[in-house]
Amino acid sequence: MIQFFHVSKQYVKNYFALNDINISIEKGEFIFLTGASGAGKSTLLKLIYKEEMPSKGQILIDSVNINLIPDNKLYRLRRQIGIIFQDFKLLMNRTVLENVAIPLVVRGERKSIVDKKIDSVLTLVGLQHRKRYLTSHISGGEQQRVAIARAIIGNPKIIIADEPTGNLDTELTIEIIRIFERINASGITTIIATHDLNLLNLFPKRTIKLDKGLLLFDRPAEASE
Amino acid sequence: MKFIGEALKNAFKNILRNKLVNFLCLGIIAFTLLVLGIFNTISFQLSKTINKLSENIEAIFYLKDDANRDQVEALIQKVQASLLTREIKFTSKDEAEAKFVGEFPELTYIVKEFDVSPFPSSIGVKFRQNADAFTQIESFVNEIRNSDIIESVQLNVDWAKKISMAKRFVYMVGAFLTFILLFVSIFVIFNVIKLNIFYRQDEITIFELVGATRWYVRSPFLIEGFLLGLLGGILAGLLLFLTLRILTLYRDSIWNLIKQFIDFRRLPLKIYLQLVLIGPLIGLFSAALSLKRFLKAAAVE
Repeated sequence: MIQFFHVSKQYVKNYFALNDINISIEKGEFIFLTGASGAGKSTLLKLIYKEEMPSKGQILIDSVNINLIPDNKLYRLRRQIGIIFQDFKLLMNRTVLENVAIPLVVRGERKSIVDKKIDSVLTLVGLQHRKRYLTSHISGGEQQRVAIARAIIGNPKIIIADEPTGNLDTELTIEIIRIFERINASGITTIIATHDLNLLNLFPKRTIKLDKGLLLFDRPAEASE
Repeated sequence: MKFIGEALKNAFKNILRNKLVNFLCLGIIAFTLLVLGIFNTISFQLSKTINKLSENIEAIFYLKDDANRDQVEALIQKVQASLLTREIKFTSKDEAEAKFVGEFPELTYIVKEFDVSPFPSSIGVKFRQNADAFTQIESFVNEIRNSDIIESVQLNVDWAKKISMAKRFVYMVGAFLTFILLFVSIFVIFNVIKLNIFYRQDEITIFELVGATRWYVRSPFLIEGFLLGLLGGILAGLLLFLTLRILTLYRDSIWNLIKQFIDFRRLPLKIYLQLVLIGPLIGLFSAALSLKRFLKAAAVE
């Protein structure tokens, strides 16, 4: 489903953020992308949703070479991907409900459909009781769940999370990963970037490790267990 | 429909969010368009005056006494063939004498001393209304003047020419000032939109990452520019209307000369429409310029 063929990314001359990466991710897989800071995790994720372009190589999603998607058609790719950022990227002056609704609002969905879907995703992330709260008035863990709800409300095929538990304590981290597991169980390909080794031990999934832009290993779920 | 509603809502939100900046922007657009409107008004009124004057422009070709009938006929046909000619009238020597006697009966005794009429026969030509035809009329008259049977020509277009020159001057000053002020307006709107793009940077980034179309992201800014221009245009139209009303009240005491040929009460709808239409165009253009320059950079950051 997602294929990287000899993908390299250079931001500056003589320094590879990613160097000759070859990976293949099947539909419905749950993957941890790990590595130290600066290993290239975020760059790899950005290449998937085309916030960055590879310097070399090709990226295929469902057999479509995303390098060839023009800017004015990029929204079609983005609607297939739910993205969760480490800094959440929420609009703090808007309510939980308004934040979660954004992907549907920009698609021009009817209010009745938006309301129905919001109820369903907020129930999944356990935030029904907070939906009228301003995002700035809820806790960090709750904000993270708002970001997850926003990512899944548009029925994406892929979920990408960049250090989604970076600011959370262990208990909340486990809670969040369990939510991702529930999402993944519905067939959504889930890719989580993390440098938290405990997380990898607690949740033995397929793990791709990067180091200084190079693919260090790609360990299947069985081997992690 | 829902999408347009959403875009309009966001555009209004943007305008209300930066009230002071947008108010200044509106004022500058309105001032620019007001200047354009004032110069257009003056130019329009001068055109009307020139048209009125050109209606009365008459050339009189005095013929030599030895001109025969065929030569006169040929000349009349030549004058008639011109597109500038509206009306043509031949006055014989006797008719000229009769006219003189009619106008100055106390001088009849002088005329009676001549055996034949001392007045030359003439061809009087009235021209079509055309504010900018003075040069053409002059060259036409000069062409006819070269005819062998013409003794002299009487033509007075100096007054009309002066007004025509004044109109051209007003037009040029107006165009120059408008050009500068248009540039200022575009610059101001460009920067207002730029500020709003940076203010809404997070929102734009999120919208783009969750799959909003380019049009969805850009339309509120374009509508904002359009609205600023439209409101500026309407404001300029209102100000122009008020200015003319106030001037009408005081014109008798202030401009005795001007009031003779300027009708302040009536101004064609075209001038108001021009203001209201140019405003949004400036707004759209500046917003598009700003989006092109800043949106991509803002979204990536």
